Amino acid sequence: MGIQFKEVNFSYTGVQKGFYEAIKDISLTIQDKDELITLVGQTGSGKSTLAQHMNALVFPTSGSVEIFGKLVTAKRNRKIKYNEIRQKVGLVFQFPEYQLFEETVEKDIMFGPLNFHVPEIEAKELAKKALRMVGLSESYLNRNPFNLSGGEKKRVSIAGILALDPQILVLDEPTSGLDPRGKRQLMNLFKSIQMETGKTIIVITHDMDLVYEYATRVLVLNAGCLVFDGTPDSLFKKPSLSEFHLDYPATIRVLREINERFHTQIDIYQKTVSDATIAIKRGFKS
Amino acid sequence: MAYLDIEHLHFQYSSKRMVLKDINLSINKGEWIAILGHNGSGKSTLAKLIVGLLSPKEGSIIIEGQKLSDETVYDIRKKIGIVFQNPDNQFVGVTVRDDIAFGMENLQIPATEMLEKIDFYAQKVGMEQFLDKEPSQLSGGQKQRIAIAGILAMQTDIIIFDEATSMLDPGSRAELMEYIKELHREGLTIIMITHDIEEALFADRMIILKSGEIYQDCEISVALRHPEWFEEAYLELPTAMRIYYDLRQDGETYQELEEYLWEFSLKK
Repeated sequence: MGIQFKEVNFSYTGVQKGFYEAIKDISLTIQDKDELITLVGQTGSGKSTLAQHMNALVFPTSGSVEIFGKLVTAKRNRKIKYNEIRQKVGLVFQFPEYQLFEETVEKDIMFGPLNFHVPEIEAKELAKKALRMVGLSESYLNRNPFNLSGGEKKRVSIAGILALDPQILVLDEPTSGLDPRGKRQLMNLFKSIQMETGKTIIVITHDMDLVYEYATRVLVLNAGCLVFDGTPDSLFKKPSLSEFHLDYPATIRVLREINERFHTQIDIYQKTVSDATIAIKRGFKS
Repeated sequence: MAYLDIEHLHFQYSSKRMVLKDINLSINKGEWIAILGHNGSGKSTLAKLIVGLLSPKEGSIIIEGQKLSDETVYDIRKKIGIVFQNPDNQFVGVTVRDDIAFGMENLQIPATEMLEKIDFYAQKVGMEQFLDKEPSQLSGGQKQRIAIAGILAMQTDIIIFDEATSMLDPGSRAELMEYIKELHREGLTIIMITHDIEEALFADRMIILKSGEIYQDCEISVALRHPEWFEEAYLELPTAMRIYYDLRQDGETYQELEEYLWEFSLKK
């Protein structure tokens, strides 16, 4: 199950732009459990387009995407209930906090389940549960979403998707605009949701420090092509990332500079500052 | 008197909580200051007050001796420009050319002069090839550069960058930072609002906001000597500095290395 991309192409046709290939020949399998995937690549590389294929929000121009057994191709199939796909794979847009609209947090979170014909009492329970999952207490249920801080709004909007209990959760740049602490809190939240529920979580980001520290797998897009699919360790061990238009995580960059300057042989592949410090001490002693 | 003086500034939105409390701040011409703070610390509100998009509840903002008010706001906007976070929210023109012209049209600059300036400033931000393009054909970084060109064309003395790089990918971000450095060398006063310490390091001075108050106002090299300030203000030190303080923790000394990490962090 999960999601299988087979030779997927997608082109936009614009008024002036003519024909624009957003993603090209993508083949890819995403498991329906236990993955924390980061999707990276420079602006315009096709990340959001790829993400929107994962819950049939857009249809491929050619090729196919099989999502939990349902085959999505260029031609719409009347027998397929695309809505059911959107319950299995939840997509959280960038700045989802702009999409809050109900007068209470509870109503906002219940909106999705009610739309999928979940009875009201059950939807209320789902709202409570989803709110707990994003680390907010029940006291938020009756608050007005517009009076919450940016970080809280973001959590409420993620809860709205979690309330649908999707098996795969896709988030488009959830950490953008957050301060360093907010970023880490959100990534910790995804990690704990992933570990507790076994859901697969896919996060689009530009932050290589987060990729290195949190991801189990990383997908790199460059000019619409999938140019890397593997672990963060193997990605950052590459001698150069310039062809991907990516940078190394800060710990690797700093340790590499130190090795150059002091002719030391510190193991530069350290994910956290404390590991980096230990590696430096070891390197300077020998 | 400094170029920009903020005196006893207080601000609140309609709700009860005070967003900014007794802000006092002086900025000299040609300075580059970074205003650093966690989400919700009041940074962006301060920026909006300085350009007159919001009015203070109490206190005053004085620019070149002129107090900001409903009467003076249009004069003052000729002196201060602002680039916002989201490139898509500030592109008002149908084409790049229209977009650069927008601010100048408001200043009623004659058409011939305007056309010359559009060419000149588009070239300055390296976007002269894109004048007839529509926003959908541009990347985020390119849109931010167009926004800057529009403000440069108004020949303001100060540009405020309100988290202007936070939505860009690392490549566009580095490019924009290089460009801001050049503007500063040419004498422009820069106010950079950010929660990214790596960016703040390029400034001369750092203002740390915490829950609506000025928590620290000092030179960058002074601020970096106080890791506890960053902790207190819910901010993070740059990675090299975090390693630096981590190394010093258990008493062993790595003097040369520590000096190096220090230099590595300071950009000036």
